[in-house]
Amino acid sequence: MPKVQFSNSATSVFVPDGSTVLEAARIANITLEAPCNGMGTCGKCRIKLESEQADYVLACRTTVEEDVTVFLENKEQENRSMKILGEGQSFSYTLKPCIVKNYDAGKTKVIHRTGIVGTEEGDTTKSIYGISVDIGTTTLVTTLIDLRTGESLATEHALNPQSEYAQDVLSRIHFASKDNGIEILQTSLNKALNGMIEKMSKTAHIDSNHIYKLVYSGNTAMLHMACGIDPKSLGQYPYVSQLVGNTHVSANQLTVSPFAKIYLPPIISAFVGADITSGILASQLFARGDTTIFIDVGTNGEMVLARKGTLAATSTAAGPAFEGMNITCGMRAAEGALERFSIDEDNQISYSVIGGGKARGICGSGLLDLTGELVRSGVIGKNGKFILPEKSPVKGLGKLDGKTAFFITDEVYLTQKDVRQIQLAKGAIRSGIEALLIQLDMTAQEVDRVEIAGSFGYHLSESSLLDLGLLPPDFKGKVSFVGNTSSSGGAAFLLNTDFRDEMAALVQTIEKIELSNSEGFEKLFVKALGF
Amino acid sequence: MSRKENQKNLLFTALAQAIIDMEEESATAIAKEIVRADFSSLSAIEIGVSGGMEQVGLLYESGEYFIPDLLVCAEIAETAVSILLENAPKEPLKKACVVIGTVAGDTHDIGKNIVALFLEAAGYQVIDLGKDVSAQRFVEEAVTHHADVIAVSTLMTTTMGNIKDVIDLLVQENKRHLFTVIVGGKPLSEEFAKEIGADGYAECAIGAVRLVNKLLQIKSA
Repeated sequence: MPKVQFSNSATSVFVPDGSTVLEAARIANITLEAPCNGMGTCGKCRIKLESEQADYVLACRTTVEEDVTVFLENKEQENRSMKILGEGQSFSYTLKPCIVKNYDAGKTKVIHRTGIVGTEEGDTTKSIYGISVDIGTTTLVTTLIDLRTGESLATEHALNPQSEYAQDVLSRIHFASKDNGIEILQTSLNKALNGMIEKMSKTAHIDSNHIYKLVYSGNTAMLHMACGIDPKSLGQYPYVSQLVGNTHVSANQLTVSPFAKIYLPPIISAFVGADITSGILASQLFARGDTTIFIDVGTNGEMVLARKGTLAATSTAAGPAFEGMNITCGMRAAEGALERFSIDEDNQISYSVIGGGKARGICGSGLLDLTGELVRSGVIGKNGKFILPEKSPVKGLGKLDGKTAFFITDEVYLTQKDVRQIQLAKGAIRSGIEALLIQLDMTAQEVDRVEIAGSFGYHLSESSLLDLGLLPPDFKGKVSFVGNTSSSGGAAFLLNTDFRDEMAALVQTIEKIELSNSEGFEKLFVKALGF
Repeated sequence: MSRKENQKNLLFTALAQAIIDMEEESATAIAKEIVRADFSSLSAIEIGVSGGMEQVGLLYESGEYFIPDLLVCAEIAETAVSILLENAPKEPLKKACVVIGTVAGDTHDIGKNIVALFLEAAGYQVIDLGKDVSAQRFVEEAVTHHADVIAVSTLMTTTMGNIKDVIDLLVQENKRHLFTVIVGGKPLSEEFAKEIGADGYAECAIGAVRLVNKLLQIKSA
């Protein structure tokens, strides 16, 4: 058995002949992101081998036949500095928490709305906590909440560790449905959540044994995986969810009270999950007299159109371009990422980099800014093509391997292929919006408000979304960024038990649209590809 | 070169260029002109239409053209082909027959539709089975139409495995040797095609045309 030595972590592991370096890393419990799950397509699992001359090789495509030493990029620092947003808009509601306590004769009874769930020694009536958990495909956000006061005591952010195995939802469903994939995914998630629970408890100076309830807001696939349920049926037509939500599951894998339970909010469909239900609750979409479209811009663009209480929902596979994946110089929103970009009246460019240093790559918000500005200033035509360098009003167009690219620095640039990826991603979301408008028989002009949810969306600007045509021009001046409503809606579910049945009833009435199978979608999508 | 020969070449080249430049009216006019002059419809499709689409494919590969451009060009090519074939004489029209579809469990078919258009423009007879097509149906339709090629596509990682079912069924029914099987779609690769026992993989529409040309040539050689 050859030995694989991981240089910067001082770990080594013995693996069977012919194992890949990626497999070795997983056995050694070393974090090595492989968003495409070892298909060799994303290029993000770059490593360097001591024995090889090559600058780098892909860990998933490199097999081990003899002892090797592997050099990894240190991703931990990058992940720690990632920008994830915890807060989201909310609304005012009365406290009617799911757990109360009663002290009598030296013991405290823990009471759920269904009855007594346990007894604790002494008087613990002042310590009743819950956690709102936002399980994103890429990121996790947890908020510790005092159930007596509604106050948020601590928040933690982390990468969803499952993305090391498979980045996008479909690859993850695929991973979950083979061998012991689902156990691996569930265990890694619980491990990360326990770490976050420990940190929050420390920050808030509380005993994690006094956490009695968690609300899991997340897309449908993430909830399946969190509960250890095979998500296979989500990835095959007719795309059926095994979960309907508005139910409780066991929390015994988490370091919380032994009496604790996890609440899963109502799920809308296979591709519109409880995170959107929480978002609908937090933004009170159903209670508004106007017309609002609520869009979670991300890998899965989930969206809801609400007109005077009538709701329609859909989701679109935008792909990982918005997270900097599949983009030549793409990276996550971490130190060194270009996050803002603009071109002024004199056609001079300016940009900002997270952490203030030299640009190492471009993150999602930077990518949308950059492309939006290049479209606005005519460097990229309506058909998505770079114009000829000699005709460009803005400096930066040049040749890379004979093909036109826009250079911000020598190392950071945008290629024609990258622009095509962005067109596909924004086209997916735009066509989803158009399909919803058609469903409710209305025009973009009739929409009063546009709410962009999600932590990624929070870093975007209305102008670049309009320049890109990700949003219709008629949405101008109507856009607001509402933040992580999956989290704030989850908190509302914790703090007022009435919302559960109310939302379950509402979810039943939402029109669910499955785009790939709907009439005329191809035309909508192709039309939405242009700028 | 005779004057007639010269005129023919000019018309074929002009037809190709009209398709590349997305000039529907001029493509239609040229196709009609070719029919009037009584030049071979087959050569017109081969040189004018297919040749033009080959260039369009190259422009796509280099990033110049994108999906909407491909669709516009393919539509014009289709119109030209139908004009050329309208009053076509009894010459053997088609090169070969391709049965194409999106695999069971998947309803995404935009990519598959583009491949079908390109194959048609290249002169192949294309039977499009649509989406969410079962292995059973692929095999039955291929047999019914005496197809030469079965082309299976998927967009989703989760339905990749279903492509293998088509090949397994062919093997099981002892029909694998009757058909050339090609696969395509976003999560697939050359390696995957090999792994499941397909004859080939193509990354894009024009790649699929080249692949079919190549595989059928090998087969007939």
